[in-house]
Amino acid sequence: MTALLPLILILPLGGFVLTGLLGRRFPEDAHRIAIWAVVAAWVVASLVVVMTLFHVSPFGPAGAGLKLWTWIPAAGFSADMGLYADPLTACLLIVVTTIGMLVHVYSIGYMAHDPGRWRFFAYLNLFMFSMLLLILADNLLLVFAGWELVGLCSYLLIGFWFPRRSAAEAAKKAFLVNRVGDMGFALGIMAVWTQVGTLNMQDVFARIAGVPHEWQIAIALLLLCGAVGKSAQFPLHVWLPDAMEGPTPVSALIHAATMVNAGVYLIARCNPIFVRAPEVMVVVAAVGIFTAILAASIAFTQTDIKRVLAYSTLSQLGYMFASLGVGAWTAAIFHLMSHGFFKGLLFLDSGSVIHAVDGEQDMRKMGGLARKIPITYSTMLIASIAISGVPPLAGFFSKDEILGGAFKNGFLWVWAIGFVVAGMTAFYMFRLIGMTFWGPSHVDPKVEHHVHESPPTMTWPLILLAIPAVFLGMVIGFPPETGLIHQWLEPVFAASIQYPISMGGAPETAYNFFGIDGALAIGTTALVAIAIVAAWRLFGVNVPALGLKAEPRPDRVREISARRGLSFLYNGSFHKWWFDDINNKLFVEWGGRLAAAAFWFDRTVVDGTVNGVGSVTAGAGMRLRRVQTGRVQNYALGIAFGLILMAAGYLYLAVR
Amino acid sequence: MSGSLDSYLILSGLLFAIGTFGFLGRRNAISMLMSIELMLNAVNLTIIAFGAFVKPLNVHASVIALIVIAVAAAEATVGLAIVIAIYRNKKTPLVDEYDSMSE
Amino acid sequence: MPIGQTLPFTAVRWDDILFVVLAVMLLGSALLVVTMRDIIRCGLAMIASFASLAGIYVMLGNPLIAATQVLVYIGAISILVLFAIMLTETKNAPSRLVFQTQAWVGAIAAAAIAAIITGVVLTTTWPSTGAVAWTATSDIATMLFGQYVLPFEAVSVLLTAAVVGGVLMARREPAAREDRS
Repeated sequence: MTALLPLILILPLGGFVLTGLLGRRFPEDAHRIAIWAVVAAWVVASLVVVMTLFHVSPFGPAGAGLKLWTWIPAAGFSADMGLYADPLTACLLIVVTTIGMLVHVYSIGYMAHDPGRWRFFAYLNLFMFSMLLLILADNLLLVFAGWELVGLCSYLLIGFWFPRRSAAEAAKKAFLVNRVGDMGFALGIMAVWTQVGTLNMQDVFARIAGVPHEWQIAIALLLLCGAVGKSAQFPLHVWLPDAMEGPTPVSALIHAATMVNAGVYLIARCNPIFVRAPEVMVVVAAVGIFTAILAASIAFTQTDIKRVLAYSTLSQLGYMFASLGVGAWTAAIFHLMSHGFFKGLLFLDSGSVIHAVDGEQDMRKMGGLARKIPITYSTMLIASIAISGVPPLAGFFSKDEILGGAFKNGFLWVWAIGFVVAGMTAFYMFRLIGMTFWGPSHVDPKVEHHVHESPPTMTWPLILLAIPAVFLGMVIGFPPETGLIHQWLEPVFAASIQYPISMGGAPETAYNFFGIDGALAIGTTALVAIAIVAAWRLFGVNVPALGLKAEPRPDRVREISARRGLSFLYNGSFHKWWFDDINNKLFVEWGGRLAAAAFWFDRTVVDGTVNGVGSVTAGAGMRLRRVQTGRVQNYALGIAFGLILMAAGYLYLAVR
Repeated sequence: MSGSLDSYLILSGLLFAIGTFGFLGRRNAISMLMSIELMLNAVNLTIIAFGAFVKPLNVHASVIALIVIAVAAAEATVGLAIVIAIYRNKKTPLVDEYDSMSE
Repeated sequence: MPIGQTLPFTAVRWDDILFVVLAVMLLGSALLVVTMRDIIRCGLAMIASFASLAGIYVMLGNPLIAATQVLVYIGAISILVLFAIMLTETKNAPSRLVFQTQAWVGAIAAAAIAAIITGVVLTTTWPSTGAVAWTATSDIATMLFGQYVLPFEAVSVLLTAAVVGGVLMARREPAAREDRS
C-alpha cells in the first residue's frame, strides 16, 4: 500500500516527460497527457489522504514511510530517496493536488490561444512533481531537492512569456531572491548533519533534544532563512509581486496555493526543532506579522489587480508565520488550507476578469463588470468575503484561531497587529471588488462591447473552488480547537504543544465562547464589518433597495491622504515602501561596483602578477643578453674580476 | 728595505697591477701587447726575487726566468705579426674596431 | 776610496737608496707606458722600465739575467715593438681614443689586484734567508744543459716556430698572377 506514495510522484513526472517530448509535435493535444496525469495523481493522493486521516493501515497518525533506494551511498554520509506520509502531509496533499488539478483544467481555457501551451503544461506537471516531492520527502536533503525544483519551475513559469523583458527579469529576481534563502536552508541542513548525524527528519526530531541549545537556535534560524525566502517574508518578499508577470494560472497555483506554502510547511514539519528554540519562535512571529502589516499597507494603493492579490498573499503568509511563531501550529496549517482555496479562487477569478477585458490588468480601467461576468463576480465576491474573515466562511475560523492563539499564548503585540491587519485586509479586498465590479464602467470603449464570461473550462474550476471556500471552515474547523483538523493534526504537534508547558509555561485554556475567545471573535468581526462598510462607501455602488447610498470615487483615498498630510503614507504605500529601490541601490549598484573593483583587482593585481613574472623574465633576459658583447677586452675584464674574486674568497677562507 | 723579500714582491705586484690596467684600459692593440710584456716582467721579477732569498730555489729560478724571457720574445713576435696583419685589413690598430665576429 | 755602507752622517744604506731609485724608475716608466698618449713615447718608456728592471736584477745577485734582460727585451723585443708601431702608423690619437670605456673598471681591477698581492705578501712569512744570494753563471749553465735541457730544446723549437710564423703572418699577400686563365 505504501507503494501508492511513489505513484503520486511518478504520475506528474511522467506527464512532464511525455508532454515535454511529444508536446511540440501535437500542440493542440499537448494538454491531455498533463491533465490526465494530474487527475490520476489527485485520485491516488485522495486515497492516501483518506487512508491517513481515517487511520487505515499502513497509513495513520504515526506516519508511513517508504524507502525507495539509497540516493547517496557515500561513506560517512548517506541520503535516501524515501517518502513519508503523516496527517500533516495529508493536509498539504489535499491543497496541492486539488488546486493543482483545478488550475490545470482552468489553463486549458486560459492558455487556449498561446502557441507555447505544450511547454506550459509540461512545466505545470514538473511543478506538481516537485511540490509533491517536497511534501512527501522523508529527509531534509530530498526536501531541499524538491525545494530547488519548485524554485526552478517558478522561474520557468514566471518567465513563460520570456520575450517580454519584464517577465524575464521578474523570473530572475524570483530565482535570485529565493537563492538567498536557499543558502540559509543549505547551511541549516549542514548544521543538522554535523550536530545530529542524520538527515532523516523523524530521526532528527527524535534526537534533537540532545543537541546543544546554541546549535538548536542556529539550526532553527537557518531553516527559517530558507522558509523566509520561499514564502516571501520580509526581507525577501520583493520577488512575489513581480512574479505576477507570469500567466494567471501560475500565480494561482504557485504563488498562492502551493509553492509559497513550502516555507510554512517546513517550519510546521520541523516543529520539534523550533519549539526548543523559543527565541527563534519570537523571530518567526515578528517576521510574519511585520510582513503581514507591510504587505497590507502596500495593497491599499496598488492599481494592478494581480498585484493587490499578490500583496494579499504576502499578508496572509505573514499570518501563517505569525501563527507558527506563537505556537498555534494547527491554526497555521488550517489557515494554509483555507487560504489556498480562496486565494487560488481569487487569482483564477482575476484571470477570468483579465480574460474578459482583453488583457487589461489596471483596475482603474475596469468597473461595472458585475452584470457582465456574473459567475466570475459571484465567486470573487464569495472569496473576498472568505478572506476578510466574515463568519461562517472559511477565513473566519482560521484567522480567528490564529488571533486567539496569539492572544492566549501571551503575544499581545502579535494579536494587536493581526487585528489591525484583519481590518486592512477587508478594506483592500472590497476596494478591489468595488473598483472592478461596481460603479460606472471605466473600461476602454473598444473593449467594452465584447466583455464576455469565460468558457466553461475556466468557470467550472471557479465554482468548484468556491465550495471549499465557503464550507471548509465549518467542516473541519468547527468547533474551534476541537474540530476535525485538530484531531487530524494532534499527533503531529502534540509533543510541541506539550513542550512549552513542560518547560514551565501555562497550559492552554480550553475554548470558551463566552470568555476571551468569544470576545476576540466578536471584536474582529466588528472591525471587519466597519472596514467593509468604509470600502463600500468609497468604492461601492448604491443599493437603493436597502436605502444605502455610496459615493464611488476611486481617487478619494489619494485626496484624503493628500489633504490631511497623510501623503507620506500614501506615497510610501504606492512605492512599496521603497524596498525595491533600496535593494536596487544596495545590491545592484553597489554590488556592481564591488564586482567591478574585484574585476579590476583580478585583472591588475592577479593577472598583473602572473604576466609580470613573464615580463620580468623576458626583460631580465633582454638585459642580461648585453653581457655578451662579443668584445674580447670585456671578456678580459671579466677574467680579471673573476680572478680577484677567487683570490679574495681564498683569502677569506684562509684567514678564517 | 733592499734586503727583504717582501719589498721585491710588492714591487712586482705593483708592476703586475700596472700591466693589468694597461691591458684592460688601452685601446691600441700594441699598447695592450706592451702591457703584457710588463706583466711578464713582473712575474720574472717575482721568480728572481724568490731565487735570491730562498737558497734552494736559487739556480732553478734563474733557469725559469731565462725560459720565460724566451717565451715572451716568441709571443711578442707572433702577436705583433698578427697586429700588423690585421692592420693591413682594418687600417686601424684600435681593438674596438675588431668586431667583425660579433653581430 | 771605499765608501761606507750608509750615506754619510745618516743611517740610510746605499743599497736601500739604490733600491728606491730603481723602483721609482720602474714603476714610473711603467705608468708612463700605460698612460701616455703618444705610443712611440710609450715604447721608449717601456725601454726605460726594462732597463731599471735589469738594474734590480743585478741587485738581486743575478747578473746573467740582467744581461739577458737588456739583450733580449731592450735589444730585440722593444725594437720589434717600435717597428710594429711605425708600421701601423698610428698618428697622434685624440684623447678619447687612448683609453677604452672600461678603463675605469680596469683601474679598479688593477688596484684590487695590487691590494690583494700586497696584503698576501705582507702577511705571509716567507722562508727567506734575509740576505741576497749571489748566483754563479756556471751553475746556471750546468742546470740549463743538465736538468732543464728538455725545456731548453722546446724553447728553441718554439722560437723557430715563432720566427717562421711571424714572417708568414706579416708578409704581404703575393699579387695574383694575371696570366692564369
